[in-house]
Amino acid sequence: MILKLAWRNIWRNPARSFVVIGAIIIGVWSVIFLMGVMHGMINSYVDNAIKRETSHIQIHHPEYMKDKESKFYMENAEKLIQDIEKIPGVKAATIRSQTNVMIGSSHGTRGIRINGIVPGREDKLTGLNELLVEGKYLEEGRPNQILLSSRLASKLKVKLRSKLILTFQTLDGEIVSGAFRIKGLFDTKNAMFDDNIAFVDIHSLNELLGQQDIGHEAMIYIGSVEQMDSTVMSLKKAFPDLLVQNYREISPELGLFETQIGMAGRIYMVIFMLALIFGIINTMLMAVLERVRELGMLMAVGMNKLKIFLMIVLETLLLGVVGAPIGIGFGYLLTSYYSTRGINLVIFSKEGMEQFGMTNFIYPSVNPEDYLFLAMSVFITALLASLYPAYKAIKLKPVEAIRKM
Amino acid sequence: MTVIETKGITKVYNPKKVPVHALRGVDLTIRKGEFTAIVGPSGSGKTTLLNIIGGLDQASSGVVIVDGVDITRISDNKLIDFRKEKIGFVFQAYNLIPVLTAAENVEFIMLLQGISKDKRQKRVVELLKSVGIEDQADKRPSKLSGGQQQRVAVARALASKPSFVLADEPTANLDSKSTAQLLDIMAKLNQEEGMTFIFSTHDQRVIDRARRVVTLEDGMIISDVTR
Repeated sequence: MILKLAWRNIWRNPARSFVVIGAIIIGVWSVIFLMGVMHGMINSYVDNAIKRETSHIQIHHPEYMKDKESKFYMENAEKLIQDIEKIPGVKAATIRSQTNVMIGSSHGTRGIRINGIVPGREDKLTGLNELLVEGKYLEEGRPNQILLSSRLASKLKVKLRSKLILTFQTLDGEIVSGAFRIKGLFDTKNAMFDDNIAFVDIHSLNELLGQQDIGHEAMIYIGSVEQMDSTVMSLKKAFPDLLVQNYREISPELGLFETQIGMAGRIYMVIFMLALIFGIINTMLMAVLERVRELGMLMAVGMNKLKIFLMIVLETLLLGVVGAPIGIGFGYLLTSYYSTRGINLVIFSKEGMEQFGMTNFIYPSVNPEDYLFLAMSVFITALLASLYPAYKAIKLKPVEAIRKM
Repeated sequence: MTVIETKGITKVYNPKKVPVHALRGVDLTIRKGEFTAIVGPSGSGKTTLLNIIGGLDQASSGVVIVDGVDITRISDNKLIDFRKEKIGFVFQAYNLIPVLTAAENVEFIMLLQGISKDKRQKRVVELLKSVGIEDQADKRPSKLSGGQQQRVAVARALASKPSFVLADEPTANLDSKSTAQLLDIMAKLNQEEGMTFIFSTHDQRVIDRARRVVTLEDGMIISDVTR
C-alpha cells in the first residue's frame, strides 16, 4: 500500500514530477554520452598509439630505453621474432632497427627518427601500407627506399621519387650518410607522428649502421588487452636477458591519459549528481510542504513515522526509477548510433585532434559496468535527496499539521 | 462503561511568552454509546479538548484516561498505535487521501492494522454500504461531493472498529441536505451499533440531534446537559 500510495503521489502533480524525471533523463543521457565520447577518445588515442607506435608489448635491449642509443641492439633479429611468435597469446610480431637521423633535401634539413622495418611484417601489423596517399609501399630486398609522411615531404619540399640524404651515427659512433629515394608518402592523421617518423627497409638501415640481423625494438601484438599481463609474463620468462614492457610502461602518458579521462568522466558525473540532488530535494520538499495537512492526518489516524518516512523515500526513489532507465536507454541508443558511425570532430577543429595523436573520428563506447554504476549513482542520489524531505515530514506534529490550510 | 475520562486537564499555549489558557481544568466523562456534542463559541477550547482526548495534543496538566489507559503517560509512537486501534477521526475538511479511491481510503486504516485482505474488503463493502455510498467506491475524493467525502471519512473512522469517534466540526463544510444525511448515518450507527460519537460543533442542526450537550466557555465546562 505504501508503494501504491507513493507511486500515485508522484503523479498527483504530473508537471512537477515530469520536470524532475526530465532532469534525470537528460542528465543521465548526457552523462552516458559524455562518458562514451571520453571512452571513445581514450580508445582512439590508445588504439592509434598501439597500432602505429607502441604495439601492445615491446622487447628491447635492457639499456636501450634509457637514451634509445642505437648501440644497444638485439642480435639474431629474425630468429628472435620467430621465437616470440611461438609464445602463447602473441598474435603477431615484427622488429625494427631505429636511429635518430638528420634528413636532408636540397631545401632543408630536419631531425627525425628512422625506423628500419621488415616490410612484409610491418604492413600486417601497423597497416603502414594502408596509410599511403601517394606512391608505393617498400619492397622487400630493394635497398635505399624511404617512406615518409606527406606532411614531412611538404616541409622538406620534396615529392615522390625525390632523393633524401640520411645522416647518422653508426654503431661504432662514426658518422655515415646514405641516399634514399622516396617510394611512397603516407598520412596517419597524427601530426606528431607524421612530422617525426620515416621508414626504410631494415636491411638498408642495418647496413649503414654496420651490422646485419640486428633490431632495436621487437613489437608484439596480442589478441586482446586482457591477455597482456599473462603474455608479458611468458615473454619475460622466455627472454630473461631482454627488457619486456607493456604499452603503459613504454608510454606512461597513455596510462595517464586513460586515467585522467576516466577521472574527468567521474567528475562530470559527480557534478551532475550534485545538481540532481538539490533539484530532487527542492521538489520533494515542495511535495511535503504542500501535503502537510494530509501527512498530519495520516499520523493522526495511525500511520507511524517509519511508514511516513518510507513513503517519502519511496516517492523520491520512484522518480529515479522512472527517469534513470529512460535516460540510460536514450544514452545507450545515442552512443550505439555514433559508435558505428563515429563523431566527426573536424567540424570543431580541422587539425586539433590530430595534433594530439587522435583521429578526427571519435567512436563513443560505454562499458556495461558504467551503465550499472550510473544507475546505482542515481539511486543513491535519490535516496540521499529523500532523507531531508522525509525527515521534515516525520517532524510534523499531527495537531499542527491538520490545522494548516 | 466509561470510555473517556478527563481529570482537571488544562492547556496553556505559549506558556513562556504570552500564555493563552485554552483549557482551565476540564473534568469530563464519556460513557459507551453516547452521542455527545461539545459546543461553545470560537476560542472556547472545543477543538483543543477533542485533540487532547484524541491523543493528538498534550495537556499541560491533568489526566486523560481512554479505555482505561492514561494517554498522557505514553510515548508518541505508542500513542500513534493507540489512535490507530482505539480512535476514529472525522475532520472538518474531510482529509481523505486524494490519490486513493473511496474504498481504498476506508481500507487504508485496516491495512495499517495488518488485517487480512479478505476481511478488509468485506468490511469496506459493509462500511460503504452503511454510509450509503457503496456505488461511489471506486471514485477518488475529487470526484465526490463534500457530503459524500464526509461519509467516506465516517466509514474510514469506523474501519478500525474504534472505541469512539471524534468528529471536529464534521458538518461545517456541508449543505443542509448533506448535513442531515450525515447526521442520520451517525445517529443510526450510534443507535444500532452502539458507536460512541463526540462532536465539536457550532452547528445547531448537530446540537439538536445530540443526546448530550457539553458547553465550553473560556476553557471551562459551563453546562453539561443530557436529554
